[in-house]
Amino acid sequence: MELQKKLNGLKKGFEAQAPKEAVEIMHRATDDLRDSGILEQTVKVGDRAPDFSLTNADGQEFRLQELLSEGPVVLSFYRGKW
Amino acid sequence: MELDALKKATEEFKALGATFIAISPQLQSFNREFREEKKLTFEILSDPGNEVAQRYGIKYKLPEDLREVYLQFNIDLPKYNGDDSWTLPLPARLVIDQEGIIRYAAINADYTVRPDPEETIAALKNIMGQ
Repeated sequence: MELQKKLNGLKKGFEAQAPKEAVEIMHRATDDLRDSGILEQTVKVGDRAPDFSLTNADGQEFRLQELLSEGPVVLSFYRGKW
Repeated sequence: MELDALKKATEEFKALGATFIAISPQLQSFNREFREEKKLTFEILSDPGNEVAQRYGIKYKLPEDLREVYLQFNIDLPKYNGDDSWTLPLPARLVIDQEGIIRYAAINADYTVRPDPEETIAALKNIMGQ
């Protein structure tokens, strides 16, 4: 779990220097999100993946169904460059 | 950080015959910046308004107090995402087989927890019968 170790280090470093109030708000938001039931509403193993058509960084369109015609797809949702 | 780790895994995904794709609500220009800064070798698609994230059931809205905290840290989501919805996707990694069925799903409500790429590679090998 190399990645998670690095992430834990980053989190620790951030929380050591961030305002205490801000850290508390962030922790509470994560707890509330976990308790909101959102994880029961997500797609699950065995579900059909909803198709989509989105554009890449150059404006070129990519459709899931077309990508799947070439092979399996690993999809990663991420928040942003910040 | 996660995409850095996945950059290395991209070659393995490719060797297994799979395509790796990232999806972010941020505007195309920020995806382009990010790709160039990190020299990414995979596509990052823009999901305006988190509409695709919504179809996957992973879209959520940030509470008011958290928005203030983000702004304090110069994370201006309306600027990055090009809308003022203050919504984000839960970090999620999925493996979809050629029939369009989700065969692996790692989704966490805590954005500081991410699965190791090795776990995803193992899932992919499993569906490829390797």
